[in-house]
Amino acid sequence: MSDLRETAYATAILHEVADLLGKLAADGSAGAIDLRAMPLGPADRARLEEVLAQGAVKVSVDAGGPSEVFETVYPGVWWTRHRNDAGETISEFIEVTDCPQFLKSQPDDIRAGASGLRRLLE
Amino acid sequence: MKGETMRNDDRDITLGEYLAARGVSRRAFLKFACSLASLMALPPSAGVAMAEAMAKSKRPSVLWFPFQECTGCTESITRSHEPTIESMIFDMISLDYQETLMAAAGHQSEAAREQAMKDNYGKYLLLIDGSVATGLDGAYSCIGGQTNLSWLVEAAKGAAAIIAIGSCAAYGGIPKANPNPTGARAVSDIVKDKPIVNIPGCPPIPAVLTGVLAHFLTFGSLPELDPLGRPKAFYGETIHDRCYRRPFYDQGRFAKTFDDEGARNGWCLYELGCKGPVTYNACATIKWNAGTSFPIQSGHGCLGCAEPDFWDKGSFYRPLSVAHWGDKATLGGAAAIGVALGAAAALAARRRQDKIAKGD
Amino acid sequence: MDLLSFARGPGMTWAVTIFVVGVLWKLAGLILLRARRDLSEARTPSAWTGLRAILTRSWPRRAFVHGTAFSEVLGYSFHIGFLFTLVFYLPHVLFFEDVFKGLLGVNFQKLFGVHWPYFSGGMVNFFGAVAVAALIALLVHRIVNPVKRLISNFDDYFSWLVTIAPLVTGMLAYGHVGAPYQTLIALHLLSVELLLVWFPFGKLMHTFTVFLSRGTQGMQFERKGATL
Repeated sequence: MSDLRETAYATAILHEVADLLGKLAADGSAGAIDLRAMPLGPADRARLEEVLAQGAVKVSVDAGGPSEVFETVYPGVWWTRHRNDAGETISEFIEVTDCPQFLKSQPDDIRAGASGLRRLLE
Repeated sequence: MKGETMRNDDRDITLGEYLAARGVSRRAFLKFACSLASLMALPPSAGVAMAEAMAKSKRPSVLWFPFQECTGCTESITRSHEPTIESMIFDMISLDYQETLMAAAGHQSEAAREQAMKDNYGKYLLLIDGSVATGLDGAYSCIGGQTNLSWLVEAAKGAAAIIAIGSCAAYGGIPKANPNPTGARAVSDIVKDKPIVNIPGCPPIPAVLTGVLAHFLTFGSLPELDPLGRPKAFYGETIHDRCYRRPFYDQGRFAKTFDDEGARNGWCLYELGCKGPVTYNACATIKWNAGTSFPIQSGHGCLGCAEPDFWDKGSFYRPLSVAHWGDKATLGGAAAIGVALGAAAALAARRRQDKIAKGD
Repeated sequence: MDLLSFARGPGMTWAVTIFVVGVLWKLAGLILLRARRDLSEARTPSAWTGLRAILTRSWPRRAFVHGTAFSEVLGYSFHIGFLFTLVFYLPHVLFFEDVFKGLLGVNFQKLFGVHWPYFSGGMVNFFGAVAVAALIALLVHRIVNPVKRLISNFDDYFSWLVTIAPLVTGMLAYGHVGAPYQTLIALHLLSVELLLVWFPFGKLMHTFTVFLSRGTQGMQFERKGATL
């Protein structure tokens, strides 16, 4: 009984992930869940990490501090953890998408890189 | 050094271009915007939209005037040694005047201020920390020979909006505490015709300022405010309603002294004077020093520092329910009066009985 | 000055002062009245044992229970519920301890070695709900029952109102229901102040006079040789 109580939030989140994943599969619409938005106890976290375990893709990003993104064992479900330079977690999301926005190269960065490379080759 | 007065041409580029020039990738900015949206309890999709909108916006000119203050608000906001949400404030704005941080001093800094006000008339954001002294026509607090009061009145004319940082600017704060020798007033007591956002707290949580600026950059307007002029996103709930010790309050487990068993078990601090139930702020969720802790978590009751006149609402260590029932002298006098009235009533009754007995 | 500061400050001071003046006025006025001297011979050596009527009159005699049980049970439910919320809830305990300390210079804990007991908010809320339910049932009975309706006056209804208001506002404040907490707690304090101000001038004085009248009657009858 106490286990159920401890993982009430985790269960709710998992149900929402399932819903979003269904939508992604049906019409490609993405969604995200902010893990900061609800108080997760250690048991909740453990359950989430157990179900949404790391899958085939793991990405380390260094942008304004380290960030970690991995695709879970459920394709389309990604877990993003942003940290600052001191290593403190500043936000955490579960994204249901074919590719998180954060991993994609940003158009402005591409443009800046394009002109930078051209200048280098001149 | 962050925050040094920028050259004019930097003010004409967008925030996105400014960040790119400083080596901050759009990806890093996206991360920052998503984290900020999370802090403001916005949905994750808002972070992406905010990043896009902010990147396209021009960095507003901000003039930061320190009035009757202790510099604690500046300290709170600049207390970061590595890129954090708080330090991003200085990237998002063109800080054209800030006495603690700017390189210029004396007449040069005043010239910079006047130039910035002229160049951006009607569009700059005025950030005020510290209360406005009005006693002796404002002579109690002057900069460069001019009173804070006159600075505020003049600068407000060309401001797009005013942000009152800290409880002193928002409500008068410590200087206003009884007997208020300098005639300290809140910014909103002086300026009546411009939008004002109050960000109270002694000091305020830095992320709140970032959130307000981000909102301004994204939407071109100030966020939704509560009746006391505070952004609802951060001041919408009381400390009590988000306090992790709330279950102890409900269970009736209270610490009686700062060192007893209850205190060591982290029980509720109501009896030790915590003002959490009547204080609106985000300390219990966002916390301080990148989410490290907040007063209650460190074992001390909330002072109520984001509320008006918190210095004059009785001791920090008397519980909320201990109202002013009077004092010995008042009640002693009241008792004497009561007994006297009763005796007079009884005497009148006895006299009447005598009259009746006599047969009148 | 905002509503809460007023309620916690001058409002409370005035209400308590008026309460003290009023209660002592009424009590002194009663006690100092000339009592009719009983010139007959006392049948018992001491009439003081007659004070036991205070206890014996706390429940109706068997013959009358059938007709009065409803009101008696509800009355006790209200009184017990009300007193529990008043006396065993920590914020209230702190208020009374402060009054004790300020008036008599007495620190309850130092004197008795233990803190005055208090219970969880949930339990206090439950007893409060019991008191409110009892009060509502009693009011309905008062309105529906023809005899009670006939003999009820302003004092009855107003005293009911000033008694239920602190209970309801207290429970609303505890649950943070309906308005910001500061407003709810200000309303709670103001309702208590209204109760205190009305108290000496209506039937709520039975709080003191019930003991005086039962005790006096008991002693008078005891003296005549008829134990109540």
